[in-house]
Amino acid sequence: MTVRVATSRTARDDVPVVIVGAGHSGLAMSAMLAERGVEHVLFERGEVANAWRTERWDSLRLLTPNWQNTLPGYRYDGADPDGYMTVPEVVDFIAAYAERIAAPVRTRTSVKSVKPEDAGFRVTTAAESIRCSAVVLANGACAIPSVPAFGSSLPASIVQVTPREYRNPGMLPDGGVLVVGASATGLQLADEIHRSGRSVTLAVGEHVRMPRVYRGADVYRWLDVLGLLDQRFDEVDDLVRARRVPSPQLIGTPERATLDLNALTANGVVLVGRLATIRDGKALFSGGLRNNCAMADLKLGRLLDAIDGWIAAHGRDNEFDEPVRFERTRVDAAPALSLDLTGGSIRSVVWATGYRPDYHWLDVPAAFDQKGRLQHDGGVVAAPGLYALGLTFLRRRKSSFIHGATDDARDLADHLCGRLGASRRKSGR
Amino acid sequence: MATKRKTKAKSARNPGKKTAPTRTVKATRKPAKKSARRAPRKRAARQPNRAAKQTAPAAIPTKRSRRADGSADNGVDVAALLAAREALTAAPAGAKFKWRATCDWLNGTHARSAVDGFFGLGGEQAHRKRYAFESDHPEVFASEDNGATPVEMVLCGLAGCLTAGVASVAQRRNVQLHSVKATLEGSMDLQGILGIDGDVRNGFDDIVVSFEIDADASRDDIEAIVAQSQKRSAVYDIITNPTNVAVVVK
Repeated sequence: MTVRVATSRTARDDVPVVIVGAGHSGLAMSAMLAERGVEHVLFERGEVANAWRTERWDSLRLLTPNWQNTLPGYRYDGADPDGYMTVPEVVDFIAAYAERIAAPVRTRTSVKSVKPEDAGFRVTTAAESIRCSAVVLANGACAIPSVPAFGSSLPASIVQVTPREYRNPGMLPDGGVLVVGASATGLQLADEIHRSGRSVTLAVGEHVRMPRVYRGADVYRWLDVLGLLDQRFDEVDDLVRARRVPSPQLIGTPERATLDLNALTANGVVLVGRLATIRDGKALFSGGLRNNCAMADLKLGRLLDAIDGWIAAHGRDNEFDEPVRFERTRVDAAPALSLDLTGGSIRSVVWATGYRPDYHWLDVPAAFDQKGRLQHDGGVVAAPGLYALGLTFLRRRKSSFIHGATDDARDLADHLCGRLGASRRKSGR
Repeated sequence: MATKRKTKAKSARNPGKKTAPTRTVKATRKPAKKSARRAPRKRAARQPNRAAKQTAPAAIPTKRSRRADGSADNGVDVAALLAAREALTAAPAGAKFKWRATCDWLNGTHARSAVDGFFGLGGEQAHRKRYAFESDHPEVFASEDNGATPVEMVLCGLAGCLTAGVASVAQRRNVQLHSVKATLEGSMDLQGILGIDGDVRNGFDDIVVSFEIDADASRDDIEAIVAQSQKRSAVYDIITNPTNVAVVVK
């Protein structure tokens, strides 16, 4: 059920709601606001789905299978529901949605600043200055690569690349590569860089291990069936920790292959512990690799037990393949604790160490905590009238997925409408 | 590579490896005697003047059992730890601690280290009493062996930290521990500290910690507790990651 709110703007607003970013999150919010009769505009620094057009590597495919990629009133209707979209396909998917809902997107319009003004905000772009009651931050969780501070201590001879600029192995110098980080990005890049003939050392911290397919079904089917993706932010035991969980070690390929650390080491990739620091031209790694692998193996075991339990509880054992268990992650008896970065054996470093959102233009101090992170309760930002979308575990475990935008946008659109309604009543309209 | 599982029941309870150091025992123990045994220990702990009780090492409990309500009792106040976590989230300055030790040279390689006060929660804190530790080198190094070697003290620190973590994590996960024993071994090539071979480091080449744990939990659950204990361990972090050390002369 949706609640319709009067479309009229308040006396002071140029437009009641500004959405920053026209990716899947901003568009989902646009659909929800349109459904509720709330006038709004989307400011997009480039074209619709800009980050997908400009900041992704060539071989990337979505980790979620096609059937799972939905937006409000919109789903994949192609011939391969179990496949994984390439980046151009993702761009087409999102751009077609923007057209279908006739989203009021102003492309090539970067937001320069958002400042509090009375009970609302002033949003400034290069071309104009707009007063609104609410701002939705939908400009992406993966904006700025998080490179550790000690990255600046790398010898100047080492080429450094983040996944935002990385396109393919050909852009790296010949010679050894240190890939830092072993989530989906780190594993995928380590794999293709190694296949390009470069020797690869992979620094592995905490990670989440998953098979692509289990008992014949995609692992995301199982996470969906078990209700894990719908788990809410106010249900989990430790939300701070849940939001820090890295993306699972997965890759989307036509073969539905599993890419785990054992697959990499079988091909010759060398594993080392988490990169602790750079000192005297040497990369120093943690001696805790074994435990990080053990934790991921145990967690994988618990997930597979839960899947088997679900199948048994529903009496559907004969519908699915036999249960299997995967070999424990193989770790050398004595993984290297340091790597000389000056001797020429390592020529480049790839920082697959995660991303953070970019809110440098958000001039609203109340929105941030003491460490400068956006302070929000399930996307309702601490500064009233500000909302965030698309961040990791924003309201649900699926929040950072394409299909996670629908439920989150619906919840936040309801909250936003309640607020607009209240302020209108207050001003006697 | 995947291995076929025969039955579900087997995988849940019996994950295969039989050579590992941990044991799995399912046991229900009488809760009634528990409180009677614990009470005097607690009183003793709160009366620092009873010197006799203090110097006697705490007995290793042979039997631990769940509380009358069925919840695990490993002697860890999880509620207090969680409250502290919440309080220090709100007041991060209080989380800044300084741990201190002093060390006096006695003779030869024999020295006595001691801990007494530390800083934390925004102010000076004190141990219940001052604790002293003798360190020395063994007779095979032509020393008098008046105490543990400093490298053995490092092993003790790691063992104490991981074991405390096992108890705390088990408590948090409502797992009753009956016994926990850690055995540690650090390998070292003395060619390093003796300066014989510059390619050999001074410190341990590796450290192996073996836990024997008797608890009301499956092997996988016990392994997960031990893994989480490493993840949250200060000494494990200190040993596995580089730390800046400044040694100055006053």
